[in-house]
Amino acid sequence: MSIHTQQRPPWLEPRAAYIHVPFCAHHCGYCDFAVAVGKDDRMDAYLDALKSELQSLGTPRPVDTLFFGGGTPTYLPIRILERLLQLVRTWLPLNAGHEFAVEANPSRLDRAKVQLLADFGVNRLSLGAQSFQPGLLRILERDHAPDDVARVVEFVQPIIPNYSIDLIFGVPTQTLDQWQDDMRQAIALAPMHFATYGLTYEKGTRLWKQREKGDVRALDEETEYYFYTAAMDTLAANGFEHYEISNFARFGFQCRHNHTYWANHAHYGFGVGAARYVDGVRELNTRDFHAYIQRLQAGESPTFQSERLEPRDRAFETIAVQLRRAIGIERQQYFEQTGFALDSLVGGTIHDLCGHNLLADDGQNVHLTRSGKCVADAVMERLLRAN
Amino acid sequence: MATKTSLIRNFSIIAHIDHGKSTLADQFLLQTGTITRRNFQDQLLDSMDLERERGITIRMHPVTIYYEHKGVRYELNLIDTPGHVDFSYEVSRSLAACEGVILLVDAFQGVQAQTVANAYLAMEHDLKIVPALNKVDLQMTRIDAILAEMETSLGIDPLEVLRVSGKTGIGIEEALQAIVERVPPPSGKPDAPLRALVYNSHFDVYRGVVVYVRVKEGCIKKGMKIKLMSKGSEHEVLEIGQFRPGMVPCEELSAGQVGYVMAQIRSLGDVHVGDTVTETNRPAAEALAGYKEPKPMVYSGLYPVNNHEFEDLREALGKLKLNDSSFTYMPENSEGLGFGFRCGFLGMLHREIIQQRVERESGLELIVTAPNVTYEVLSRNGEIISIDNPQKVPDAGQIEEFREPIVKASFIVPKENIGDIMKLCTERRGIYIRTEYLSPTRAIIVYELPLAEVIYDLYDKLKSLTHGYGTMDYDVLGFRSADLVRLDILVHKNRVDALSIIVHRAFADQRGRKLVKKLRGEIDRHMFEIAIQAAIGSRIIARETISAMKKDVTAKCYGGDITRKRKLWSKQAAGKKRMKMVGQVDIPQEAFLAVLESDQ
Ligand SMILES: Nc1nc2c(ncn2[C@@H]2O[C@H](COP(=O)(O)OP(=O)(O)OP(=O)(O)O)[C@@H](O)[C@H]2O)c(=O)[nH]1
Ligand SMILES: C[S@@+](CC[C@H](N)C(=O)[O-])C[C@H]1O[C@@H](n2cnc3c(N)ncnc32)[C@H](O)[C@@H]1O
Ligand code: SF4
Ligand SMILES: [Mg+2]
Repeated sequence: MSIHTQQRPPWLEPRAAYIHVPFCAHHCGYCDFAVAVGKDDRMDAYLDALKSELQSLGTPRPVDTLFFGGGTPTYLPIRILERLLQLVRTWLPLNAGHEFAVEANPSRLDRAKVQLLADFGVNRLSLGAQSFQPGLLRILERDHAPDDVARVVEFVQPIIPNYSIDLIFGVPTQTLDQWQDDMRQAIALAPMHFATYGLTYEKGTRLWKQREKGDVRALDEETEYYFYTAAMDTLAANGFEHYEISNFARFGFQCRHNHTYWANHAHYGFGVGAARYVDGVRELNTRDFHAYIQRLQAGESPTFQSERLEPRDRAFETIAVQLRRAIGIERQQYFEQTGFALDSLVGGTIHDLCGHNLLADDGQNVHLTRSGKCVADAVMERLLRAN
Repeated sequence: MATKTSLIRNFSIIAHIDHGKSTLADQFLLQTGTITRRNFQDQLLDSMDLERERGITIRMHPVTIYYEHKGVRYELNLIDTPGHVDFSYEVSRSLAACEGVILLVDAFQGVQAQTVANAYLAMEHDLKIVPALNKVDLQMTRIDAILAEMETSLGIDPLEVLRVSGKTGIGIEEALQAIVERVPPPSGKPDAPLRALVYNSHFDVYRGVVVYVRVKEGCIKKGMKIKLMSKGSEHEVLEIGQFRPGMVPCEELSAGQVGYVMAQIRSLGDVHVGDTVTETNRPAAEALAGYKEPKPMVYSGLYPVNNHEFEDLREALGKLKLNDSSFTYMPENSEGLGFGFRCGFLGMLHREIIQQRVERESGLELIVTAPNVTYEVLSRNGEIISIDNPQKVPDAGQIEEFREPIVKASFIVPKENIGDIMKLCTERRGIYIRTEYLSPTRAIIVYELPLAEVIYDLYDKLKSLTHGYGTMDYDVLGFRSADLVRLDILVHKNRVDALSIIVHRAFADQRGRKLVKKLRGEIDRHMFEIAIQAAIGSRIIARETISAMKKDVTAKCYGGDITRKRKLWSKQAAGKKRMKMVGQVDIPQEAFLAVLESDQ
């Protein structure tokens, strides 16, 4: 028997790892990720903490995919970025045929950093463009100009040809024309992949407060619907497959790391606020930057919350996550992963939802239809209600 | 402890709602020293939580007080009664334990519908009426006009009317004197075989059933073997006593006295109100005339929001029934709502109170369906079917005659509102009977009306038309044939049985249109379009559409943090709790009551 077949299944044993890098040049008004602004002097301390956390693995764990998210990983100065890359590659060596993805902000990216990333095996970059309209970038409180993206793409392309562009739609005052223009400009930059995110008003953010006070007005449901379906149509027409609720890719360029999440497979997570799912246990690290560093300095665990779900709850959770994918839920695979026959849990509901053309079912796979994608939250809620 | 019958006076305080019965009872308790200032609170006898919260009396409250008049100590047994129409059964039962009543009339509001109704009840029982104008301390009174109203409507001699204030204590002494002097003492013989009327009962969690008795003849003692004459069940008396107002034990109760008996009776079902208690060893030949059990006026379905809580609901209703025998419940099954109970109530207030008590005491979440009255169908094969639920209406082809309950309704209104009331009654299919003037400014209008047109909202309509000055009362006359149909509601092509109503054919289209419109506002948008239709048989008479929701997806960057997401889902699920899924549509509790308000 080869070593590979001795491995436990991917929903128990992680083959993917996420590393959170919280530092940003400034805090965008809509963002509620674990972000550290004005704490640049703590970068080394943070890396020390990250090192301790990685050391808790005991031995290096080879992985198929690595993902640096943030925050803004590329905000780290070259020296520190290199230290981070060294550290991570030591504890999380990459298997052959790996994917190593990094999130980047166009504002402070330069060729040297991109080259450094590539030297360490980074082969996927996602660029947070968000919009190409100066007015909308202002509302989003972004610190880059529309042209920055094209400038960055010029030197990224030869080094890391697999780059993705993040766009946000549904920004206050945004019109359908502006959204079409954003997509047109982005497509012209020839990325392999798109993430289109509907702007979410996260409780506690500046944007949320502005909406509460009435300073900005959220777009109505109908407009958001048109934006979302416009993304589906425009990107499909340009050769991007809509493979997950918010993600589009050219053939062969889907994000493998993110697929781990959508399959409800196991993954490691390191860094402040990071989530992990190892051996059926979900854990979240503290979101408090200083607490994270302090705990690891003191030799304590940074875990803030830990839970093991009952098999039935896990099976329902798997339904909701896997449905985000265009391939949806594959019955046989679902049974192997969860121990439950899909139809024994939600057969009737699936049948009803197919009747409304919200789900499609070919007997093997169940997936959201186009209209189902538009109301995916409601569909999931209906399915989970059977629990 | 036995008091000579000549020194006993038994009376109830009766009046229209809010005319001050409980407050007057307070004064009686205070001025006779039954209760000290220190232990006093307003409307002391209103001891139930709901009575205190709502500031109304729901159940009768007996209390024994002692009063000295001209050097002689009298035992007065008074019963404070509720004024609200729904509880007039409590008044009837109280009266059967008395020889007289104090009839209170608010010195500003004057004679009102329940003043007349309750005064007539007292007359039927041959009781001595001691009339009194209450609240004479008010700045604004209409004393002379009201004296005239009392004379015209009830034949009361103005010279006999006392003037009191339960609030300030004016005239209380005179009222007590009048009771002693005018109300006759009870007549039964203390040495005859025991006959005691069971006029009420309540269930005490710690002590079991407490039976309220009025001893008519003979006497009852601790340790005595007694028999309940209707079923012949025998018990040993463990304790007897008086309400002062808490339960105070005594050695015996003899002819004319009022008090309680505890005899290890486990459930209220074993004692029926109106029964006669006699002594096993020396039984009376004949039982006393009892009461007629009141028939429920309105029915509603009560369903647990969570289907698996059916048995819990059964238990909760059973517990409540121990304390209130006047509501009924029977298991029923609805396609849409699952298993629940069809409950009968004395009126809308009673219904509301029972619902609140069940929810409060059991913690269950309930869906309550729209109320309906009982109909009767004479079928083609000569059978008479009682319809306490629209589901029971047979197919049109099998109906020979459809009948509805009719009441005689009396309205007391200011003269200037007569026209409005008549218009309202005509709209509601009323048959005009007569108008009588109480005084130059106020009149009694009498109509025959279908109960269904009266019971849900007529009172509110009357109040708003008369700016609060109109009152009404009604008595059931019987069933009468009418052109009635069952109006069904279809949600997303499924008939929702719990939304069906029975209406007069002439109003069916209008009701149907209003109802579907109302429902449209109550049901949230779903992932698909929902048609709401009203139908009579297979004929659709109205339709509204709820358009599908267009976008409901959080298309956000989605990392591994599913815990937060899961919280969101369970929050959404909690929001759906007070809903019932019928077919594939979530129908909120409010929708089941939409029928009630579809007129506005
Ligand atoms: N000014 C004044 N107000 C009074 C008097 N008696 C009662 N009230 C007020 O009238 C209201 C109703 O009094 P209750 O004693 O509860 O009336 P009730 O007849 O027992 O009412 P129900 O039991 O609900 O029929 C309360 O707000 C009392 O404070 C009085 O003599 N003078
Ligand atoms: C974790 S962020 C990091 C990317 C990088 N720091 C940047 O902003 O360019 C990843 C993406 O999530 C999206 N995002 C962040 N906050 C969002 C919000 N409130 N609503 C919708 N999308 C959001 C943005 O498109 C962003 O590019
Ligand atoms: S959106 Fe990106 S750059 Fe802006 S605060 Fe969030 S992580 Fe930082
Ligand atoms: Mg009262």
